[in-house]
Amino acid sequence: MFLIDIAYASESAEAAAETASGGGVLASLGIDPVLLIFQLINFAVVAAILWFLILKPLTKKMAERQNMIDDSLQNVKKIEDNLARSEQKYQERIDQAKVEASKILEKTNQEAVELGDNLKKKAKKEIELLVDQAKRNIKIEHDEMAAQIRASAAELVVAAVEKVLGEKLKESDDKKVISHALKDLGEKL
Amino acid sequence: MHIPTLAPETLFHVGQFPVTNTIINVWLAIVIFLIIGLCLRRRLGVRPGKMQNFIEYFLEILLGYFDQVTGDRKKTMKFLPLAGSIFFFILLSNWLGLIPGTGSITFGGKMLLRPANTDLNLTVSMALVSVVASHLFGLITVGVFTHLNKFVQIGTLIKSFRKGPMAIFTAIIEVAVGFIEIISEMAKVLSLSLRLFGNIFAGEVLMTVMSSLVGLLVPTPFMLLELLVGLIQAAVFTMLTLVYLTVLTTEPAHEEH
Repeated sequence: MFLIDIAYASESAEAAAETASGGGVLASLGIDPVLLIFQLINFAVVAAILWFLILKPLTKKMAERQNMIDDSLQNVKKIEDNLARSEQKYQERIDQAKVEASKILEKTNQEAVELGDNLKKKAKKEIELLVDQAKRNIKIEHDEMAAQIRASAAELVVAAVEKVLGEKLKESDDKKVISHALKDLGEKL
Repeated sequence: MHIPTLAPETLFHVGQFPVTNTIINVWLAIVIFLIIGLCLRRRLGVRPGKMQNFIEYFLEILLGYFDQVTGDRKKTMKFLPLAGSIFFFILLSNWLGLIPGTGSITFGGKMLLRPANTDLNLTVSMALVSVVASHLFGLITVGVFTHLNKFVQIGTLIKSFRKGPMAIFTAIIEVAVGFIEIISEMAKVLSLSLRLFGNIFAGEVLMTVMSSLVGLLVPTPFMLLELLVGLIQAAVFTMLTLVYLTVLTTEPAHEEH
């Protein structure tokens, strides 16, 4: 049944081709100027839609993304460089700070030692001054005491002599005796 | 059973203009592309969504193949409006021929849907666009004189007069070669259009016969083959277009005689 159909169909196709061959080879193939222009317009529409709605925006976005990726990769490199540089700087600063700190410490130590020495010297001087003063005071006191003793000893001698002699010597003799006695006393002291 | 005729069937007229069943399929493709384009436009972003990713994946593969022919991404991008449109349009319209109803739904005793590329008018118009565009690109890229000298080698002939009889002889042969080149340009249109038309038309006839013999399961492997044929034919048409574009936009190697 189907085979008969096919046979009929092929016959009808042949018949159609034969009738069409009257209009030339192009017509038998179905070429028609109006349809050709129609399909040309159709294809232009398809191409316009495909390009302006699909391909162009897509390729634009793809290029944009590509640029973004390139830029970010470049930025990563820059950032890494910057990081390395700042780390280096940081390290340099730290080293510098360490050097400065050790210098300061050294200086401080030196200053402390100097200050200590100065203070010691100052204390020594002050002590010496105090000792000197004390010595002077002692000497003054000693002198004062000696003078006092000398005075009171003279009085004592006068009184004792008066008592012993029972009578007053002449004033000139008296003075001679006293001065003599005092001389002796002074020598003894 | 209705075996498709070589010529597309006119379904109705809009005013004086005939509307054939193949034109219906082209319109269908236009609508599909329009929907995809509008959907895509709304969701387009530098960070792609699923749909954008999917299309970009295919586009990347396609651009890779294009690069192999053109040898340069810049040239590929220049030719993409034409080559990309040709590829996607032929692919979609070939595959549209496989949707159920093609060939079986009738309108006034005629097939309502018929694969767009079973219409020689469409394949010829695409081939014409492809060949004419390659010449236009050639004219713009290598210059009018250089481009025309590939076909009508008057310039070579005039130059040869100063170089002696041997050069004149060579130039005469080159003029003859130029004529052959002109014929080959016409052959390009013929071969491009007939190859696509022949393959898809044969496929359509095969499918019609197969599905009328045994409707169930038997046509399936043929449908799978048709999927493949649809892709291959789209690729062949596009690659040849690209080859024409690349060849005509390349400066000819001038041999000084």
